[in-house]
Amino acid sequence: MEKLKRNSLLGFGGLLVLLFMSPLYIVVTNSFKSQKGIVIDALGLPFGEYFRPENYIQAFEELRFVRSFINSLAITVSATVIIIIFASMAAWMLVRSKSKFSGVLFMVFAAAMLIPFQSVMLPLINLMGKLNMLHPVGLVFMYLGFGSSLSIILYHGFIKGIPKELEEAAVIDGCNTFQVFWYIVFPLLKPITVTVSILNAMWIWNDFLLPQLVINKPEWHTIPLRMFYFFGQYSKKWFLALPGLVIAMIPIVIFYIFMQKHIVKGVTQGSIK
Amino acid sequence: MSKVSIKGLEKVYPNGFQAVHGIDLEIKDGEFMVFVGPSGCAKSTTLRMIAGLEEISRGSIVIGDRVVNDVQPKDRGIAMVFQNYALYPHMSVFDNMAFSLKMKKMDKSEIKKRVEEAATILELESVLDRKPKQLSGGQRQRVAVGRAIVRNPEVFLFDEPLSNLDAKLRVNMRVQLSQLHQKIGTTMIYVTHDQVEAMTMGDRICVMNLGKIMQVDTPLNLYHAPQNKFVAGFIGSPSMNLLEGEVIDNKESLHIKIGGIELALPEDKAKKIMDYVGKKVWFGCRPEYINLGAEESNDTVKGTIQVLEHMGNESYIHFDVLGNRFTSRIDSLDSKDLRVGREQIFQMDMDKCHIFDYSTEENISL
Repeated sequence: MEKLKRNSLLGFGGLLVLLFMSPLYIVVTNSFKSQKGIVIDALGLPFGEYFRPENYIQAFEELRFVRSFINSLAITVSATVIIIIFASMAAWMLVRSKSKFSGVLFMVFAAAMLIPFQSVMLPLINLMGKLNMLHPVGLVFMYLGFGSSLSIILYHGFIKGIPKELEEAAVIDGCNTFQVFWYIVFPLLKPITVTVSILNAMWIWNDFLLPQLVINKPEWHTIPLRMFYFFGQYSKKWFLALPGLVIAMIPIVIFYIFMQKHIVKGVTQGSIK
Repeated sequence: MSKVSIKGLEKVYPNGFQAVHGIDLEIKDGEFMVFVGPSGCAKSTTLRMIAGLEEISRGSIVIGDRVVNDVQPKDRGIAMVFQNYALYPHMSVFDNMAFSLKMKKMDKSEIKKRVEEAATILELESVLDRKPKQLSGGQRQRVAVGRAIVRNPEVFLFDEPLSNLDAKLRVNMRVQLSQLHQKIGTTMIYVTHDQVEAMTMGDRICVMNLGKIMQVDTPLNLYHAPQNKFVAGFIGSPSMNLLEGEVIDNKESLHIKIGGIELALPEDKAKKIMDYVGKKVWFGCRPEYINLGAEESNDTVKGTIQVLEHMGNESYIHFDVLGNRFTSRIDSLDSKDLRVGREQIFQMDMDKCHIFDYSTEENISL
């Protein structure tokens, strides 16, 4: 009975793996095929007459990969870092300040998550245009606004578990408020900072709609915006779009694998009791 | 070393709740002062106000010759050991101990010297490069103390530092802290709810209740001469037998009448409470001053044994006399033949009893 249960669980797990890995299989295998090869046999392996590895070189060039990679990287890193700094500090203060105002403010942050981006995007772009903020710096600013809510909520929950005595000990040891945060609180937030950075970096790296609305100069285009060039009104260059996708996902997958190792649970273990 | 002087100290929270009601206290240079009291008596709040972690609503705190009401915690010349140690989990033991010195931008060689000195005193040399989570409870406690020592403070503040340790380790650490005080001679203020800690460690004990000081005295004076009913009941385990009674004069001598029991008061006590004849009072007698008696007299009661607790070296006898519950503490060898439910004569040492005013609860028999 136990064995049957275990085997059926294993079988179900295997099915799930297949389900989740199938899009990756389709993208990777088809990225090595010519357009004709993709249309004729989308599920087959890339061998024979349709094998076309030079797709990658062409996609790399048409994406203007180095330039768009640097743009994506700069926007993703700066927006993620700023979200982490602002959200962690804000959450810390919201947890430690017991006033009614901080409670209301926290509710506002939580409520902001319910507002769909599509409902604010046009007035936002209109307003930002008037403020002359339709450029990468303005985009980072907007990411801070959109990314703060979830990040603050995540930090808020985590900070509640950090004993206040650690901060009081730091105050007695001679820290000012900023030093308490920077030397004591922020290092303890490492596991949740990793989570927040993964969530935000993946979203910002892959985001298409907001950069499309904000960035109007080709030299500022991010990878997802350049990818859009493969899809015209009358033609869809799948043989370039798919290697482009593979190239685009490699950095963020590497980032994810690297950061995942740094999620250390129970970092505060041993500080108290 | 520094004396600490507290005058008219009050703490009122924004919601109007007054936690501390005008405390006046002088703590001498090098003294080990213990704040003791039940939960919520504001002993920790008072300590935190001395540390600068709580704002003072009214009154003043002087450390050395300086009024420190508006001085930052780091500049008060204090070091604090917290109940839950509050060790920085991401730092090694060395870094934990060195942190305050680094914040002062002290020379690296001086930091190393001070940390190593403290580590030697506390036998922590072998764990300096470990993280707090790799240490045992006792070691963590010693690191917390070490972190305070390296600051070379004028006053040490301890906020229930042993309450997270198991009983055996607590006794061990209690001795170590007392030895540390003898060695470095710095003024120490120690908060605890454990009266055994208070009695064994303190040069003087400040007993607090509901934000007020009930008595400040040496451990033995607190035990033998409590100034009020609260101190009498709080200090000592098992606690003092406290019963409602009335002072009566039967022409030969003064008696105290508790329910249907009448006990004759010795002459010196009778003189002190002459004005209370016919009035209600509280009668108090410590369990060790109630012994097994052979025959009935004017200082004995006949009670039914309800519960027997054998502690090994001594036994506690809980007995009932006409609806009044008493506890007696006797040598365990003397309790061998006692049985629950049996009637037994108990003799009170009336010279050692206490009488408290019924309304003010002040000791009127001292």
